[in-house]
Amino acid sequence: MDAKTRVVDALDIETFLICKNEEEGRRISAGLMESMGCSDFDLVYIHHEGIGARVRIRAYVNRPGDRYTWLEGGEKDA
Amino acid sequence: MRKKRVLLSPLDPVHDIGLKMIKNALDEAGHTTFLLPPDVTPGEIVEEALDKKAEVILLSRTLGYGVAELLGRFVDLIEGAGIRHQVQLGIGGMAIKPELAAELGFDQGFGPKTPVEEAVAFVEGRNYVPTQEASTKKKGNLLRERTYDYHHEEINSLLEEISEKTLEWYREVDSPGVRRAELREAGSAGGQDYLELSSDSIRDFFKEGILPSGLRLIGEEEQKSLENVIATGRVENPRILQRQPHQPLVFIQYGTGCPFMDIAHIKGTEAWGADGVVHFDPSWGAKTEGLLAGLLSHEENGSVLSEKNLELIKKALEKSTLWQVRAHRGLNTPETVLLAGEAGADLTKINPVYGSLGGGTDPERLLADGLKAMEYAARYNMPFDMPTNEELCGVPAFKAFAGMLIVTQLGLALGAKPVLQPLFCYSPEMMLGGQMEDNYIDYNAAKVMALRGIIDAPIWAGAPIGFLTHTEERVQSAVSTSFHAGMAASLDIEGISIASTDEAYSGGPITLPARIDTLQGTGEAFRFLGSAGMQPTSRAEEWAEELTSNILRVLKEVAKNGSFLDSLYQGILGSKEEGAYPGRNGRRTVQKRR
Repeated sequence: MDAKTRVVDALDIETFLICKNEEEGRRISAGLMESMGCSDFDLVYIHHEGIGARVRIRAYVNRPGDRYTWLEGGEKDA
Repeated sequence: MRKKRVLLSPLDPVHDIGLKMIKNALDEAGHTTFLLPPDVTPGEIVEEALDKKAEVILLSRTLGYGVAELLGRFVDLIEGAGIRHQVQLGIGGMAIKPELAAELGFDQGFGPKTPVEEAVAFVEGRNYVPTQEASTKKKGNLLRERTYDYHHEEINSLLEEISEKTLEWYREVDSPGVRRAELREAGSAGGQDYLELSSDSIRDFFKEGILPSGLRLIGEEEQKSLENVIATGRVENPRILQRQPHQPLVFIQYGTGCPFMDIAHIKGTEAWGADGVVHFDPSWGAKTEGLLAGLLSHEENGSVLSEKNLELIKKALEKSTLWQVRAHRGLNTPETVLLAGEAGADLTKINPVYGSLGGGTDPERLLADGLKAMEYAARYNMPFDMPTNEELCGVPAFKAFAGMLIVTQLGLALGAKPVLQPLFCYSPEMMLGGQMEDNYIDYNAAKVMALRGIIDAPIWAGAPIGFLTHTEERVQSAVSTSFHAGMAASLDIEGISIASTDEAYSGGPITLPARIDTLQGTGEAFRFLGSAGMQPTSRAEEWAEELTSNILRVLKEVAKNGSFLDSLYQGILGSKEEGAYPGRNGRRTVQKRR
């Protein structure tokens, strides 16, 4: 079983990235999600100051109206 | 500059305050504006644009659902009407990202928190240059204008009596901690005399180069890389959490084990509004005679106290950051304060009562060392706070406060500036006594009211505020800190130490985002309350009176005993039954002064 299929809607990554500015923080966030195999993601929050940025990156697994991966027989590419 | 005709329209069912603010700024700049009501269709906006001969259209969108389709349709309609080349299109609001706006064919997209001035610059065809305001954050004054005047004569006279006798004793005694500090002062730290007064692990390090387990020396190359990160990561625009002068300074505690990770946390928390940072050393440091040297990383909690570690941390601090190096509970108390003073620390932490009844160090040893440390604190002009963490062992607040007040008077007599540190906590005394069953305000307020009724001294609640109210769940944890911070602001106290949202998590190191969580929560509490405040019930006053009379009773017992030191052993300031055990580290090491 792919554990991600049991995520009700989304995974949030809450972290702090060392980066020069917000733009770089956005790029790193995208790279991080791609490296984790998450293609449907959004940067919910980013604030840069000093050495880096506080970010909340969200990877959607199931959006409302989808055929949910956590329903029996509802698996899709998460 | 030519004045323009600007159409503003919210693409939402409700009005956007942002558009109204932009309209006001444009009106003030002399432009002609037309603000449409909410819930207008894209087709109606295009009709209005034609009718009003708009040169600029500014739209706003707060709701995220279907935003791309809606805006795409609007651009199609504008193009269909044949006016795309005549108008500038701008879109802003919570749902808007500049990249999405560009993709859909808008001339400019304004994300959340865009300054009004940027939208005005767009209308006027100017490049927006943000005003680079120099940071106005100044180093905070923890002492404010407190006078140290006593308001309670009987307590004042008892404290003076106890303090005088204690200082008479102190002038006759000496300890390895005191002597090592004096050797360090003379530039002989690590020398033969110093090592004779040190533990085996310290001797092994200086003589054989053997580091205690879990420690490593940090290389020069690593240090250079870190210095580059610090140099490019100066905090230009630190958040200021306080909205009113009475709101307390906010301290975070660091001590990840590694000075590099500490610096990353410090820089992050400075940016998010911390006014001060507190250095936590490893718990084994309190049981070890002597200090290590060099740039040292530690695998576990607590960052090693060494001259180089402190120097590096100091170098990374912003000028506005207050820095405390704590020295309250171990066998290196005087040396730590000396080291802190030399490194440029602003504050230190000394409390022989807690350190000996709850911290594991022998009372006699810690009293001798603590008094020497207070002399150094006075010399380096470092106020010191006195944590009353023995409450967490089960000692009633009034006993912990009686001890703290004795230490206050001793500090004053030695020329130092003591800072009272009552705990804002859900202590065993409260759990058993039920004083916090109804609410968390009354008893904590009573503590502050009692202390304020005795002496006009600065108060720094700790440490951290909300001790034992936090859970591993981060929202609960941040909210608990936030409420306690709001209470502190309402009580007009000078400082607070806050936990991270990892306070109740013991499975690994605290993270920087967890620290930022509670800084955000604290800022919101201050923003929420402003000049307003939380109001305790009448129980707070009753409990404050009860606390004061119990403090007086304890001080009378100490005075009657005739020796503050003996009172510590006898349980007058916290008994074994209550959970206070006189520590054993350093027992029988105090000698008559040579």
